[in-house]
Amino acid sequence: MTMFLEQLQGIAQYYPVILKGVGVTLALSVIGIVAGTSVGFVLGIGRASSNKLLSFVIGAYTDIFRGTPVLVQVFVVFFILPEAGIELDSFTAGALALSNIAACFISEIVASGIRAVPIGQVEAAASAGLTRLQQLWLVVMPQATRMIVPSLVGQFVLLVKDSSVVSAIGLLDLTRSGWIIVQSVPNGLLVFSVVGIGYFLICYPLLHLSRRMEKP
Amino acid sequence: MLFNLNFRVIGETLPEFWLGFISTLSISLTAFAGAIVIGIIACAMSIQPSRLVRAPAVAYVDVIRATPLLAQLYFLYFGLPSFGVLMPETVIGIIALSINSGAYVSEIIRSGIMSIPRGQVEASASSGMNYWQQMRLIILPQALRPMVSPLIGQAIVLVKDSSLLSLISVLELTRVGQTLANDRFMPTEGLATTAMGYLIIYFGLKLMAAAWMRINHPSARH
Amino acid sequence: MIKFKELNKWYGTHHVLQNINLEVAKGEVVVVCGPSGSGKSTLIRCVNGLEKFQSGTLIVDNLPVAVEANLRQLRMELGFVFQQFNLYPHKTALENVTLAPIHVRKLPKKEAISRGRAMLEKVGLADKFDSYPQQLSGGQQQRVAIARSLCMQPKVMLFDEPTSALDPEMINEVLDVMVSLAKDGMTMIVVTHEMGFARKVADRVAFIDKGIIVEIAAPEDFFTTPRNERTREFLGKILHH
Repeated sequence: MTMFLEQLQGIAQYYPVILKGVGVTLALSVIGIVAGTSVGFVLGIGRASSNKLLSFVIGAYTDIFRGTPVLVQVFVVFFILPEAGIELDSFTAGALALSNIAACFISEIVASGIRAVPIGQVEAAASAGLTRLQQLWLVVMPQATRMIVPSLVGQFVLLVKDSSVVSAIGLLDLTRSGWIIVQSVPNGLLVFSVVGIGYFLICYPLLHLSRRMEKP
Repeated sequence: MLFNLNFRVIGETLPEFWLGFISTLSISLTAFAGAIVIGIIACAMSIQPSRLVRAPAVAYVDVIRATPLLAQLYFLYFGLPSFGVLMPETVIGIIALSINSGAYVSEIIRSGIMSIPRGQVEASASSGMNYWQQMRLIILPQALRPMVSPLIGQAIVLVKDSSLLSLISVLELTRVGQTLANDRFMPTEGLATTAMGYLIIYFGLKLMAAAWMRINHPSARH
Repeated sequence: MIKFKELNKWYGTHHVLQNINLEVAKGEVVVVCGPSGSGKSTLIRCVNGLEKFQSGTLIVDNLPVAVEANLRQLRMELGFVFQQFNLYPHKTALENVTLAPIHVRKLPKKEAISRGRAMLEKVGLADKFDSYPQQLSGGQQQRVAIARSLCMQPKVMLFDEPTSALDPEMINEVLDVMVSLAKDGMTMIVVTHEMGFARKVADRVAFIDKGIIVEIAAPEDFFTTPRNERTREFLGKILHH
C-alpha cells in the first residue's frame, strides 16, 4: 500500500509533464478537428459532385489515407517530407497528418450526407431557377449537415484518440507523457490509468453527445 | 526525388516485407477472432436484465471507446510485467487488439440484434418460444446479415491498428518498413512499400464488403 | 407559348417519348392523362429541363429548352409542382415561398415577404406562415408548394400529378386552388387522373400511352366520344369510381 502511495506521489511530481501532454493533445485535436472539418467539407462536396473525374480523384486520394495506418502517415509526414525539402517539427507534422486523415474520413461522411438528401429537393430548387451553387448552399448543405452531425462528432472522438500516435515521433502529448513517467515510476498500470483517465475525460463527453444526437 | 523510388532496394528487401506482411495478417486474424469472442460475451452481458451483469460490460465498452489503443497497449505492455506476467510482445499486442476491437464488435452485434423489428420478437413469443429459442431460431439468424458489413469495417480498422504493435517491437509490416528505412537510409522506399502492403489488405477487404453488398442487396445503388 | 415539335426521348433503348407534337397557347389549360409508364411525367418534366431529350425541338416562350443557357431564364417563368411536394424541410412555409424570389429574381427581402404572405393567403394558408412542412398536412404542403411557384410570378404553371400522393379528403383543397388559377387565366399543363378537374377547366385533354399522344380533344368530345380504342379503354378504367 505504501508502495502504491509512493508511486502515486511519484506520478504527481510529474504533473508539469502531464499538463504539457494534455495541452499538446488538446491543441492537436482542436487543430485537427477544425482543419479536418473545413477541408473535409470541401472534399466531400467535390466527391458528391456529378463530375465523375473529380469524384474519382478525390475518392482515390481519400482511399489512400483511409486505407493506411495513422502511424505510417505520421512517419511519412515527419520523415519523408524532409526529402522533398519540407522540414517540419514534430508538432506541425503531427497536426498536418491528423488534419489530413480527418479531412479524408469527413469527406466520405459529407459526401454520403449530400447523397442522402432526396433528389426531389434538388429538382425543386433547380425548377425555381436557382444556380447549382445556390442549390448547394441554400437547400442541400443545410439538410445534409443536419444528418451527419452525429457521425462528425464520432469522428472527432477518433481524432482525439488518433492524436496519441504522435508520441511515436517524440512529441510530448498525453500518451508520451505516460511513456516518459513510466520510465521512472515503473508501475505501468497506474501510470497509464492516469493517462487513460485524461483521455476519458476528453472523449467521453463527446462520445456521449454523439450517442444522444443519434437517438431521434 | 520522391517519385524516383529505388526499386532495386525494394526488390532486395521484399522477402523481409513479405514476412512483415504475413505477420500483420496473422496477428490481425488472431486478434479479430479474439475480438469476436470477447464481443459476443460483452454483448450478451449488456442485454441482460440484471444491472449487475450489464454494468461491467457497458463500462468496458465505454472505457475502450473513450481511450486510445496506444494507451491501452502501453497499459498492458508496461503494466503486466509488474504483476510478474511475462509474455512475448506479440502476445501482449494481440491481447490488446482483441480487447480493443472486442468493444466495437460488441456494439456491432448489439445493433444487429436491435435492428430486428419488435414484430419478430412478438411473433415468435406468441408461438410459444422462450427467450433462448427466440434468440437462436429467429433473432440471431436475422441479425447476422446486417452485422457483416460493419464487421468487415472493424476488420479494416484492426489491421490498421496492428501497426501500433511496431512501437512495442513486434515484428510486423510497419516495423519492417521502419527498420529498413533506418538501416538503409531509404525512408521513402520503406514507407511506400509499407503503405502498399496495407493498401493491398484494405482494398482486399473492401472488395469483400462490396461483394457482400452485391449478394445481399442486389438492387441497392450504393 | 409551349411548342413540342417531333420530340423524341430514349432511356437507353426504351423509346419513352415518340414524335411528340403539342402546342399549348397562352392562357390555355391542357390536362395530360395516361396509364403508368406512359411518359406523361417525362413529357412535362421536359418542359422545364428536368428531363433532356435527344431529338426534336421544344420551345417555351420563344426560347428553345435544349439550350442549357436558357434554362435559368425559363425556370423563372415556369412554375413546377411536384407529386411529392418537395418543400424544403428546414425552412418555414414563408421561407419556402420567398427563397427563389429573393435569390433568383433578386427581390428585396421586404417585398418578397409581402408577396409571399399574399400568395399563402391566396391558397388559404394565412395562419401557417411560420409553420414547418412537417407540421402541415399533405394538402397544406401541396398548397404551399403551389404558392411557392406562384411567388415567382410565372407565365406557365406545370403540375406533375399534384394530388396523387394525397389522402382523398385533401384532394379537393388542392384542386380548388388549381381551378381558381385556371379561371384567372394561367397557362397550365396538368398531368393528373382527376377527370372532374379536367371537365371543369381544361381547354383540351390529351391521352398519352407508351410515349405517343394517342388523342387530344376538348373535354366534351374527349369524355363523351373518344375516337381511339385505347382512350376508351383507359377512360373505362379510371372513370369507374
